[in-house]
Amino acid sequence: MLEITSVSKSYQTPRGSLDILTGVSLAFKSGDAVSIVGPSGSGKSTLLYILGALEPPSTGTVTLHGVNPFGLSPVELAVFRNRQIGFVFQDHLLLPQCNVLENVLIPTLVGFDGDGAEDRARELLGRVGLGDRLDHRPAELSGGERQRVALARALICQPPLLLCDEPTGNLDRAAGDVVETMLFDLHQRQQTILVVVTHNVELAEKCPISYELVGQRIKRRNL
Amino acid sequence: MTTRILLRRSLTYFWRTNLAVIVGVAVAVSVLAGAFLVGASVRGSLRDIALQRLGQVDYVITAGLFFREALAGDLLESEQLGGVVSAAVPMISLEGFATHQESGSRAGGIQVYGVDERFWELHGFDGSELAPAPGTVLVSGGLARELGVATDDTLLVRVQKPSAIPVGSLHGRRDDLGRTMRLRIREVLTPSTLGEFSFRPQQGFSRAVFINLGRMQRDLELRLQANTILLSSGSVGSVESATGVAAIEMALRERAGLDDFALRVRELEESGVLVVESAAGLLSDDVVDAAVSAAVENQMVEQPILTYLANEIRLGDKVTPYSLVTALDLEVLGPEVSVSGGSADEPPSIVLNTWAADDLGATSGDVVSLQYYLWEEAGALLTQEAEFRVEAVIPLEGLAVDQDLAPDYPGITEATDVSDWDPPFPIDLDLVRQKDEEYWDEYRTAAKGFIALGDGQDLWRSRWGQVTSLRVGSSGSISAEGANRYRAAFRSALDPLAAGFVVYPARELALEAADGVTNFGEYFTYFSFFLVVSALLLASLFFRLGVEQRLKEIGTLAALGFDEARVRRLFWSEAVVLSFVGGLLGMVGAVVYAEIIMWGLRTWWVDAVGTTLLTLHVSSLSLVAGLVGGMLAAVFSIAWSLRVVVQTTPRALISGSLPRPVSRNRFTGRVSGLARLAPVVLGLLGSLVLFVTVLGAIGDTAGFFGAGLLLLGSLLTLSWGLLEREDSPKEAVSSTWSVSRVGLRNATARPGRSVLCITLIAFAAFIIVAVDAFHLEGDGSTGRASGTGGFLLLAESLLPIVHDMSSEDGRTELGISSFDDEAFDGTSYARFRVRPGEDASCLNLYQPKNPRVIAPELAFMSEDRFRFGATLAETDAEAANPWLLLNRDFEDGAVPAIADATSLAYALHLSVGDDFILNRDSENPIRLRIVAALSDSIFQRELIVGEQSFDRLFSQYEGYRFFLVDTPPDRMVAVAATLEDRLSGYGFDVTSAEERLAAFHRVNNTYLATFQTLGALGLLLGTLGLGAVLLRNVMERRRELALFRAVGYDTGHVSMMVLVENGLLLFGGLGIGTVCALVAIAPAWIERGGQFPVLSLAGLLLAVAGAGLVSSLVATVMAVRTPLLPALRSE
Repeated sequence: MLEITSVSKSYQTPRGSLDILTGVSLAFKSGDAVSIVGPSGSGKSTLLYILGALEPPSTGTVTLHGVNPFGLSPVELAVFRNRQIGFVFQDHLLLPQCNVLENVLIPTLVGFDGDGAEDRARELLGRVGLGDRLDHRPAELSGGERQRVALARALICQPPLLLCDEPTGNLDRAAGDVVETMLFDLHQRQQTILVVVTHNVELAEKCPISYELVGQRIKRRNL
Repeated sequence: MTTRILLRRSLTYFWRTNLAVIVGVAVAVSVLAGAFLVGASVRGSLRDIALQRLGQVDYVITAGLFFREALAGDLLESEQLGGVVSAAVPMISLEGFATHQESGSRAGGIQVYGVDERFWELHGFDGSELAPAPGTVLVSGGLARELGVATDDTLLVRVQKPSAIPVGSLHGRRDDLGRTMRLRIREVLTPSTLGEFSFRPQQGFSRAVFINLGRMQRDLELRLQANTILLSSGSVGSVESATGVAAIEMALRERAGLDDFALRVRELEESGVLVVESAAGLLSDDVVDAAVSAAVENQMVEQPILTYLANEIRLGDKVTPYSLVTALDLEVLGPEVSVSGGSADEPPSIVLNTWAADDLGATSGDVVSLQYYLWEEAGALLTQEAEFRVEAVIPLEGLAVDQDLAPDYPGITEATDVSDWDPPFPIDLDLVRQKDEEYWDEYRTAAKGFIALGDGQDLWRSRWGQVTSLRVGSSGSISAEGANRYRAAFRSALDPLAAGFVVYPARELALEAADGVTNFGEYFTYFSFFLVVSALLLASLFFRLGVEQRLKEIGTLAALGFDEARVRRLFWSEAVVLSFVGGLLGMVGAVVYAEIIMWGLRTWWVDAVGTTLLTLHVSSLSLVAGLVGGMLAAVFSIAWSLRVVVQTTPRALISGSLPRPVSRNRFTGRVSGLARLAPVVLGLLGSLVLFVTVLGAIGDTAGFFGAGLLLLGSLLTLSWGLLEREDSPKEAVSSTWSVSRVGLRNATARPGRSVLCITLIAFAAFIIVAVDAFHLEGDGSTGRASGTGGFLLLAESLLPIVHDMSSEDGRTELGISSFDDEAFDGTSYARFRVRPGEDASCLNLYQPKNPRVIAPELAFMSEDRFRFGATLAETDAEAANPWLLLNRDFEDGAVPAIADATSLAYALHLSVGDDFILNRDSENPIRLRIVAALSDSIFQRELIVGEQSFDRLFSQYEGYRFFLVDTPPDRMVAVAATLEDRLSGYGFDVTSAEERLAAFHRVNNTYLATFQTLGALGLLLGTLGLGAVLLRNVMERRRELALFRAVGYDTGHVSMMVLVENGLLLFGGLGIGTVCALVAIAPAWIERGGQFPVLSLAGLLLAVAGAGLVSSLVATVMAVRTPLLPALRSE
C-alpha cells in the first residue's frame, strides 16, 4: 500500500519560497497502475521523486507498506529504495561503461539476496526482447532498447513500487509502444504499484487510474 | 556483476579522462619523488666522493705546530686507543703552489702531502710500490688536467717553510718563508689509487701532490716531524665518533711529549736549575702557567726571564751596539743589587755588567737609553727608545755571564762572530767594534744589562708571550730524577688541545657534511611544491571533470539504492586505483626526472655544483616516500573534489547538473558565512604574520614567505567569492563591453573551475617571480658600496705577507722595486689575515663545518666599504658603518663576525644574530656571532672577524694572505701583472674582483635557472589546466555559443567572450601570484640591498601571459568553429 498524505513541496530560492505541490493525498495498492499528467512545471516529476524517496516533501507523509522512507537513516533509505522501488527515467540513465546484463545487475550490487540475480536478469531481459543482446553496451542499442534495459533494471530487485518518469518521452511511436507493452506486461506479472508520470495521453489512458496536477494540487481524472 | 567489475568497467570506459588523472598524479609523484631522489642522489654522490677520498681514514689529528712523527706510533701504544684505532700514520699536509716547468702553467691553493709507504699501506695498497721516491711526485688527476702535466714532466712545488718563531715577531723570518721543491712527476694518480685523497670535504676534483715525506722534512728542515696524523679504525670495529675522539684526545694528552709542543726543559749544570724554553723563542702565558704549576707541584721556585736585543745602549755619545738585555727579578743578581724603585718620574732601573759599564763609562745613577726594534704587525719595523737609570754594576760572573738567559735566535745565537749575524731585521755591522767581537767570543749571548721583569715586559711583550724562558730550581741542585719529575709534571700540566692539536672525526664529519650545504632534496621539494600542487590540482580537476561527466550515473546509482558512502567508496576506489597507477608511473617518471636533473646538474647547471661527479642514486625510500606522499595528496584532492558531488540530491544529479550551493540549514549557512570570511581572515592573518615578522618575532624568510602564502590564499578565496556572486548583468548585451561582460559572466558559471585555473596560474607566477627576484646580474657598479667594495682586484697569497705593500719600505722588503712606484701610483690595499678552512659559499656543496675565517686590518674597517643588509647595529655609527660591529664585545664571549647574506642563507643556514660554532667537536669551541650580512659581495667564501679577535683565536695564522686592491681602472692590468710577477715567490695570485663576484652570481643564477625550470614546468601544467578548463567550458556551452551565433553574434563577439573569460582567469592568476610573491620575497630583497630585476621579471610574466593566451586561442578557435546546427540540436 502506497499512501501519500497532505504532501506539499516548496523550494527555497534567492527570491523566496517557490511552492510546487500543495496538499497532495493519494493511496494505491498493489496491482494499481496510475498515471499522473499535467503541464510542464506542474510538479509531476517532483511528486514522482517524492514517491521514490529521492526527495523529501516539505510537509506531509509518504508510506509504502507502512514504512515512511523519510524517517529512515540515509543508509536505510538507500536500502529501501533498492528493495522497494524501481525507477524508469525518461533518459534511460544506463551506465555507458557496462553492458546490458551488467546494467540490469547494478541494483543487485547493493541489495539482492541470493545467487539468482543473474538468472533473473537474463529472464527479465528475455522478456523485454533483449536476451540476445546481453553483452552489448548501451551505445550499441536503440533508444527503445535502452529503455527496455532500464525497465528490466527497475524490476531486478522485484520492487513493489515501479515509478516511471516519461518512460516513452524520448522514443518514437513504435518504440514507445513496445516499451509501454512491456511495462504493463511486467507490472501485471509482478503486481507492482505502477506510477507513470507522462505527457503522453495514450499512455496515461492505458492506466486504470489517472491523476492530473494543476495549480499545485492533484485531482483524479475521469477516464 | 560485482563492484570490482563495475570499477574495472568505469576505469576502462572513461580511459581518456582517467588517463589525464593518471598523468596528473604521475607528474605529481614524479616531481615529488624525483625531488627526493635528487636530494638523495646529491647526498649519496657527496657521500661516495667523501668516502672515496678519505679511504680508510676515520679520524685526523692536525696541529698548528709540527710534532714528532713518532707520536703516531706512540699513540697506538696507548691503551686508550684499544678498540678505537688500529693504525696511525703521520704525514705532512700543507697548502702549496705548483708550477709546471715545461709550460709555466701554475696552480695555487693545492694540497701538498708529505707521505711515505705507511700512508699507502693504511689504505691497503702496496706502499713500497706506490710511495714516491725523494725526487718524485705523484699528482692527482684533477691537478694534472689543470696544469696539463704528464709523467716525467718537472713540477716545481712551493710551500711555506714552517717556523716555530712567529713571522710577526721581531725574530720571525719574513723574507725566507717558502721552499720550492723541484720534482719529477712519477705518476698521475687515479681515484682508485687515492688520487682523490682528501680529508677535507670538497666536491670538486682533488688538486693534490704527494711527495716523499723524508724529502719534505729535509727541505723544510723538519727532521722527523709531521703536522698531521691519519687514524683508521680498520678491523677493530667502530665506536661512536664522539667516543673515538675522546679516546684519541686522552691518548694525545697521555703520549704527547714536550717535543711535540716545541718545548724543552734543559738542566743547567752550573747553576743547578732547569730552564724551560720554546723553539718559538717565547713562552706563551699558558705554557708559563703550566711550568709554574709544575714547579709549585715539585716545591720548586720559578724565575721568568725575558731577554731582548737592544740595538744600542747609549750614555751621552758613548754607544754599545747590539747588546742583549735580560728582564728578570733583579734581586736574583745578588745582594749588591738593591732596587730602590725610585720616584715615579725617575726612569726605571738597569743593572749593567762591568763590561758594558766600562764601555759606556757608566756608574750608578747615570741614565742610559736603550734603543730597540719592535715589529709592528701592520708590517713595519719600528725603532723605540727607553731610558733607564743605572742601579748597579755587577761583575762578570754568575748571571752576568750566563749565556743561557737568551733563547736560540736563528741567525744570531749560532753565529761565530757578530759580523756573521743574519737576523731578520736590519743591523749595521759597521757599528760593531773589535771589542764587541771579543765580548761575543768570550761571553756570546750573556746579557750586558738587566732590567726588572715588569719593565721589560712593558716594553717587549707581544701576543706570543712575555717570557723567553723560565728557570725553575730548588734550594739545592736538581737531580736527574728531580728533573724528570719536573718534566713529567710540566708535561701533564700542558694540554695539547689548548696548544693547537685538533682531533676530529673525519669520516663522520664528511658524512655529515655530505648532507650538503645545499640540501638539493629540500630545495627541489620546496620549489617543486607548487609544481606538485599544480599537478595534483590538475589531476583533481580532470577527475572532477570526469565525475561531472558522470553526474547522471551517480544520480542513477542513488536512485537504485546506492547510499552516499557506497557511491563515495566507488569513486574513491577509482581514485585510489588511478592514483596508484599514476604513482607507479610516477615512480618511473621520478627516476627519469631525477636522472635528467642529475644530468642537468652535471652539464647545464654544473656552475651550481662545481662537479661532474654527481650521479643518480635510486633510493627506494625516496621513491616510496614520493609515491605515498603523491598518492595521498592525489586521493585527498580527488576526495575533496567529490565532496560536493556526493552531497548533491539525486534528482539534481539525474538532471546532470550541480546546483549552486544554497544555505539550507544553520550549519551550512555558517560554513558558507565562514567561507565568505576566508579572504578577510587569511588577509588579516597574513598581515599579522607580516607585522610580527617585521617586529622580529619570526624569522624573516619564514615570516614573509608565510605571509605571502596566506595572502595568496586570501586573494584566491576572494576571487572564489567574487566568481560565486550571482548578480545578474545589468548592461544590455549590445556593445563590446557588454559582450565582454557576458565573457566575465561565463567565468562565474563554474566558479570552482575558474578558481582552479587562477590558482594554477597564480602558483606558476608566484614561483617564477619569487625565484627571478633573486636573479643577480652585475650592475657594473664599482663604487665603494658595490659588491666589490670599489676594489678592482683581489689577490690571495700562498705565503703570509707581513710587509705593508702600501709603504715604500714594505714594497722594498717584498722585492718590488722603486721603478714600479709609478705603476702603483694611486693604488691602495686592504689586507686580510686568513685562517684557512672550507669554502662557505655555494660553490661548496658540502656543509662547511670549519669555514675559512679572515680578518681585515684595522684601517679597512673605517673605510665604510661594501653594502650591508641586516645588521645588529645599535648605534648610529654602527648603522652607518656596520664594519664597526666587529669591535662589539659580547658578554657570553661570542666573537662578532660578518658574512655574506647569500652564504648565510644558503650555505651556513644562519641569520644575523645567530651563532656559528667553530671546532664544534673539540673541547675548545669558538662561538662566532653573525652581527651583519653583506649584500651580494665578494666575501661569500668566508666569515669575517675583527683582527684583534683573529689574533686571539688563531694566533698561529700570521701575516696577511688575502688582499683587495684599489687601483685606477686604467692601471688594473699592469698592477695585477706586476704584483703577480714581483710576488711570485709568495704564490701571489691576482684576479678581478668583478670576475669573482660574477662567479658567485653564476652559481646563484644557475640555481635559479634550475628552479625556474621547475616553475616553467608548473606554468606548463597551469597552462594545460587552463586550456583543459576552457575547452571543457566551450564544449559544455557549445549550444549556448551556437545560440549566440544564431541570434546574430559574429565570431568576433564569440571570440571576445572566450578571450575575456580566459583573460580574467589568466591575468587574475598572474596578478595574484605576482603580488603575493613580492610580499614573500621582500625580506630577502631588502637584505640584498633592494636590487630588483625588473626587465627579466617583466619578460617572464609576459611569457606566462603569452602561454596562457595560446590556451585561450585554442579554446576560441574551438568555440567559433563549432558547427551551428548540430550544436543547437544537441542535447
